[in-house]
Order: sequence, then structure tokens, then C-alpha cells
Amino acid sequence: MKRTSPANGKGGRRWRALPTAGFMTLLIVGLCLVGQGAVIPAKALLAQVLLERAFARSQSTGSPVKAWPWADTVPVARISVPRLKVSEIILSGGSGEALAFGPTLVPGSAPIGRTGTAVVAAHRDTHFRFMQDLRPGDVVIVESVTGDRASFRIQGGYVVRNDRFAIASRAVAPVLILSTCWPFDANTRGPWRYVAVAQAKPRA
Amino acid sequence: MTLSLAARRSPGPISRLRKDRAFLVAGLWAAILSVTMLSFASLAHARQLAPDNEVTSGSLLLRARDGATPSAVQLGTDMDVTVTGLTARVKVVQAFRNTSRDWVEATYLYPLPEDGAVDSLKMVVGQRVIIGEINRRAAAREIYEQAKAEGRAAGLVEQQRPNMFTNRVANIGPGETVLIEIEYQAPVRRLAGEYGFRLPLVVGPRYAPPGASAADAAATRAPVLDPRRHAGVNPVSITVRLNPGFAPTGIVSPYHAIQIVEGAGSTRTITLKEGSAPSNRDFELRWRSAENAPGVELFRQRVRADDYLMALVSPPESSRRRTPPVRELVFVIDNSGSMSGDSMRQAKESLKLALRSLSPADRFNVIRFDDSMTELFDKPVLATREQIALALRYADQLEASGGTEMLPALRAALVDDTPEDAGRVRQVIFLTDGSISNEDQMLAALGANRGRSRVFMVGIGSAPNTFLMNRMAEVGRGAYTHIGDTREVITRMSALLERLTRPVLTDLRVVTHGGDAEFAPANLPDLYEGEPLVLLARASNLRGSITVSGMLDGRPWSRRVNLNQAVEGVGVAKLWARRRITDAEVGQRLGQISAEEAARTIAQLGLDFSIVTRETSLVAVDRTPSRPQGASLTEEELPLNLPAGWDFDRIFGAPAPDGDRSSKAETDDPGVPFDLPQTATAWALSMWSGLGLALIGGLGLMILRRRRRRL
Repeated sequence: MKRTSPANGKGGRRWRALPTAGFMTLLIVGLCLVGQGAVIPAKALLAQVLLERAFARSQSTGSPVKAWPWADTVPVARISVPRLKVSEIILSGGSGEALAFGPTLVPGSAPIGRTGTAVVAAHRDTHFRFMQDLRPGDVVIVESVTGDRASFRIQGGYVVRNDRFAIASRAVAPVLILSTCWPFDANTRGPWRYVAVAQAKPRA
Repeated sequence: MTLSLAARRSPGPISRLRKDRAFLVAGLWAAILSVTMLSFASLAHARQLAPDNEVTSGSLLLRARDGATPSAVQLGTDMDVTVTGLTARVKVVQAFRNTSRDWVEATYLYPLPEDGAVDSLKMVVGQRVIIGEINRRAAAREIYEQAKAEGRAAGLVEQQRPNMFTNRVANIGPGETVLIEIEYQAPVRRLAGEYGFRLPLVVGPRYAPPGASAADAAATRAPVLDPRRHAGVNPVSITVRLNPGFAPTGIVSPYHAIQIVEGAGSTRTITLKEGSAPSNRDFELRWRSAENAPGVELFRQRVRADDYLMALVSPPESSRRRTPPVRELVFVIDNSGSMSGDSMRQAKESLKLALRSLSPADRFNVIRFDDSMTELFDKPVLATREQIALALRYADQLEASGGTEMLPALRAALVDDTPEDAGRVRQVIFLTDGSISNEDQMLAALGANRGRSRVFMVGIGSAPNTFLMNRMAEVGRGAYTHIGDTREVITRMSALLERLTRPVLTDLRVVTHGGDAEFAPANLPDLYEGEPLVLLARASNLRGSITVSGMLDGRPWSRRVNLNQAVEGVGVAKLWARRRITDAEVGQRLGQISAEEAARTIAQLGLDFSIVTRETSLVAVDRTPSRPQGASLTEEELPLNLPAGWDFDRIFGAPAPDGDRSSKAETDDPGVPFDLPQTATAWALSMWSGLGLALIGGLGLMILRRRRRRL
């Protein structure tokens, strides 16, 4: 038959090799993407477990302890929202890398619970996914390494542009601002942020 | 071909091959579909990212740290100035071009000379010209708001400060251009034999102190473009038709390149060399007379049943050499954020020049202020060489940043330890750009505490607040000098220091012979070297003469002016009214008349002379609605340029002031820009698209393998 002729066979093989290579590439690229994507929530989850331990140790020693030896940030506080059963460890905002492991206290913030504005940011699709369920009146509890405990009540949520955002320069009370990207279900990066403002509850 | 070949062998493989192919094609389609769907999904999200209206959130959404963005409405301004004798008629045409697809209301904040009288508004919409009418402020606002709601084109001119106005234009159609033409009358200034006028072109960002009304602070503030990111906006072209009545020489514009064309007789036409310039610094034009300046210049105008008179009386030049008096000088230097850049350099140089001019018998002190204040010495000290050296070093290390709390500095400067010391003249010299919005408080404090101190204002920078400067100098019985360029420091400061030595003419009085007249200003100022007395008057029938008298260098001096010599003047009546309005405003701040009385007087003058004042506004409304019902109206505040020489970061990107300020919470906290980090990983997108791709790849490979095994 004609298809057994060597010339034809060689051409056919070449023809057959092309789609194989194409599909192989698709498979590999796809798997890489899956891996890349999956690493983020995995890292986020695992880091929180390690951080939880480091936080407990920090609290007992009274000074911050690194969660892993090469970490460039330290746990500073635990934030929890009882209604949403959320409890996460906040990192000191050293570099942008810290955001992968947990919510970070953004540089320029006042210490949480002190007079001034503390801004805590985290990814909308990992640690701060719960922000879409946050309602005015929700109680946010922040527990610091030193054992201080501050309660805040959510005043409201606002959508802001990151280049049009400012905090009060002369605050008279502790204010906590939680920030994440907006919209929550978007897949692209943008200038919009969702911020929730919480005022300190007077100590009972 | 292959199909027919295979068909000859057996029927089985054909169908199998067909099935495989169909499967493959279907798989590919599914893959393409899923990938497109994914990208569609992200596209949809991307669109969702920009909501139509920014969600406003009280104090959280503040002005942009990177400066404003250029607006959809673009503005071009043309100024046509006609100088006749000693008055200038200025026609300002602002073209608002809407480049967007929406109906827009544009708001533009702009400066005018504080002694100018805005008396005409015309609006051109398409082929129609609508003439504006003067109304009480609230009524005008109501007319405008109603027209705006009904979709009719409307224009409104409101005064925010005597030198700061707002134009609102409602219902500019998509792609449409609306022209707003305002006209004002302003006096030509004369100083030391030189004539000139100033066209302010930009309002510098003003500092509103804590406790100031939030509404007022908002009205005197506009978005500002960062000059490093955006080219200058709001271009302005200027034409000056100069007809001073004498042959002008030495025509100069210190801050803009100009072109001068000689006309018939003594007329000159002056235009900008570049055609137009961005409005980021004030335009100034000065000229001299080839002949000797006359001692008296008289202009008159008859409006309705009244005569109006403007007289410039120059005191004779003092012939004898005057020994400067022994003085106590308090220098107050502004080192707030708005002074950063060129202004701070000019202020420092000026201060140092003044310090070096002190004689050892003088006493002096230096006060610097931003939102805090420091006095160099507890009380004024003798100007010994060491003290001067200390003050010079102090001046050198000043840096501009922070807010502008001028009031405490003024109060401190007015504290007089030796109020009975007649042998020493007490003078306070302010070096500032006056970028504050609490002018009223300043004037009231100065009026109440001035004592024997005289206040001299040195306006610094490309767009100083001349209203504050002139009124402070007037209430403080001093003088105002402007330094707009570092090159001017030496000449202007030397002239000021010369004038500082002593007022030439004091205790001025005016007496009319034959008929009564209402004079303005009501309180005549003291005159310094080179300053003429500018007198405005209204009388039912102006005849006879007036006598101006006073003390010249401590000796009685008087001058009789024959009113028959007066030549026809343009706009004298408006200038008289404007000056009376200023008198009422000053009188109210000094507590001489009540607020109600001032408001009544100002409103009446505004309505009678059709002048925009704080109580009256001009409003123009188109009769036919243009915006279709249902179409929404976008509101835009036109951004302003930063005045030339200002440092944007020092004003808008100022680093956070130290955390524990002991001040109260305010509603008008300017806020500190805060960077919110990027907090989206998009891991879900990455995972799902990865899964999709892997699925296609895997399926494809599976099919190929099955096919190969079969063959």
C-alpha cells in the first residue's frame, strides 16, 4: 500500500509528531499553572499553621519569634472575627513576600490598638476572603504578642482607589482598617481596594 | 482521498477513524471554548473593576496623592485688557469644551485682582448669547440649580474671596463648547513713578486651619495637577491694548515673554510671545511715562445722575535727607509647605538682605511659622553683629514644610513690650505667599491688636494671595511689596527697606469745597515713599475743588486740586463701588459695623452697580432645555496647575506629621496618603486555566496514542 512507502511514512511520522509535541506542551504548561496556582493557597494554609505555633511561642516568651528560620517577618498579633469563625496571625509588614503567608500590618501604620490608624492588608483570595462577608457591627478582636487584647467594631466597608486613599493625620482614637483587593471575584489586578473601618470598642 | 482509500480496505477502521476525528475536533472545540470562556470571565471582571461612580466614603476618599487627573472638560482662556488712563477693562473669555460623551457640569476656580469689579457675564451656547443678570447670592444659586435640574444651559459667577471666584457651567452637551465671558474693571497701580497691573492666573492651594468651616475650605480648593506628570492645562492668551494717555516707555512683563506692537499715538498692543501660556503664574505688566509724572491725575465719569471721581495725588519727593528713625523690627517668615521651592529661597534671601540692613541701634526679632511657630529671641534684641550673625544662620537653616498657621505668628509679632516708647518705630514685616483661607481671622486679629505696630507685607512667589497682602498692609498702616522671582529680591527688598524708614505722608485729610462727596477709602492710609494717594469719590454734582492735607515729614502739607482739570475716565463708578465694598468688608472685620449692616451695604452696592460680591452673583440661564430627560449630568471640578516654583510633594505628598499631635479631632482633617498594597494573587485563575490546558493536552495525547496503537 502507499502508506508503507518510506518517504510517505517519514512524512506521516513527522505529521504525527507535531500534535503530540503540541499536546505535550499544553499538558506541561497546564500542570505548571496548576502547580503555581495551588502553591499559593497551600503556602497560605501551611504558613498559618507554622505561624500559629510561632505566635504561641512568642506569647509565652513575650518577644516575637520567627515561624521559620529564614522568615523575614515575625508574627505580631492574632486577628479574629468570632461571627465568621476566622482567626489568623498578622505579620509585621516587612516585604511584599509576607502577604503570601498571612495578613500584614502595612508599613506606616500605627501599632494596633494604639491611637492612630493601623492598616492590615491581605489577599482577597486567601486570608481576607472573609472580608466579603464582613458586616457593619461585626466584632474584630486583635490580640498582640505581648498579650494585649483590643476589640474593634466594624463601622462600614468602602471601595476606594489605592491612589486616592488617605488616613486621618490626627486620629484621636485607635482605628483599624482591613484592606484587600476589590472586586472579590475578579481575576485581574486593579487599582480598587475594599477597606473595612473598625473603631475601638471602649473597654468594658 | 485517504477516506476513499481506507474505504476500499474495510468498513471498520473508517468509522473508527471518523469517530476519532470527530472526537478530536470536539475536544479541540471544547478546549477553545473553555479557554475563551475563561478569558471572557476575566474580561467581564476587568470591566467590573471600574464602577461608574466612585463610591464616596466621607473622609476616606481624599484628593489624589498623585495629583488630579485632567478632566473631560477642557478650558481655554483669552484675556483682553484695555488700559485707558488709570483704569483697565479686562474681558475674560473662558471656553469650556466637553470632550466626553456625557452631559457635564464644570466648576472652575480662578483668581481675579482683589480690587477688580466683575460686572458682566455673557454665555454663548451654540448660536445663542445669554446675558447674565445680577442677583442676591442665594437667589442666583437657586436660579442656577433649577436650570441645571431642568437640563438648560446655565452659567454662574460667585465670589469666594475678593480675589477668588468660581464659575459654574451646567449642561454642557457631549462634544459641545460653551463660552463664558466675564468682564471686570480694575485700577492701574502706580508705585514710584511706575504704572502697572497684575492678572492673577492661578489660585495656589490654600491652607485651611483646623476649625475652619469645611464648606468654605471646599469652596476655596480645587484639584491640582502634578506638574511632573501632566503638561500645563488651562492655556491662556493675553492681549493688552495700552492707552495710558502718555507715551509709555520701558514696558516690561517680568514673568512672561511679550511682544509689543506700536499703534497710533501713544497706544501699544502687547501679546504673549508664545501665543499662549499655561495658567500657572500671574501675569504682570509695568510701564513708565517718558515725561515727568504729574503730581495730580484726575478722572471723572458721569453715570445716571451722579458724578464719580478718581484722583491720584502724589506727595512731593522729600528733598531733605531723612535720618532713619530708631526701629524695632519683627520679621515673620513663612516656612510652610506652600513656600517650598523657589518661594523659600526668595523669602530667605529677602530676610537676610533685611537683616544685613539693620543698624546697631535697632532692635529686632525673627519669627518663623508653619503649623508650629518659633521666636528666635524671647523679646526683640539689639542688632549687634553677633545677633545678626545668629539670625542669618537661623534663616539659612529654614526649610519649608507643614501647614500654614499664620494667626499665632501674627499675634506673637504684635506683642509690644514697650508700647509707650515713642522714640522707636515698631514695624512688623511678613514674608509669605499668603496661602491661607482664614483671611478674615487674620484681619480681625490685626485690627484688634495692631497697637502702634505697622505691618508690611512681602508677597513671595508666582501666585501670592494679594487680597490678604493688600488688606493686611492697609489695616496695618504699612505697605505691600511683591517678589515674584529670585532676581527681584534685591531691587524690591531694597526699595521696601528704603520705604520702611518712615511714612512720608501721615494724618491725611480731604476737604471738599462746593458740594458734598462720599469718599473711598473711608480711612485714608499713610503714604510711603513713591506711593500716591488713590482717592475715589461720588457726588451728585462735582464742582469746585478738593484739598488734600497731611503731615509731610513732620511738617504740615496741603494741596488744592481743581476738579475742572478732570478728564473723562472709564469705569470710575465701578471702582468707586468696589472700593466702598472693600471698606464695608474691612469695617466689619474691624468691628466698626455689624455683620448685617455690612451685608446690606455690600448687597445694595452689588445690585446697584451690577458687581459680583460676596452677597451678589451673576447668573445666566438658557431658555430652552438642551439636555434630554433621563440623560445624567456629570459634575467636574476643573483641575488647576500648581503655581510655578511650588513643590508638589511638599503640599500633597507631605510625609505624615508625628503621630501624637495634641490637637483635637477635626472634621476637615486633610489626611495622609496611604499606600494600600496589591492584594490579589489570582491563584484560582491560574489553577483553572492550568487545569483546562492540562486537560486538553492529556485528552489530545490519549487520542493520539489510541489512534497510533490501532494503526
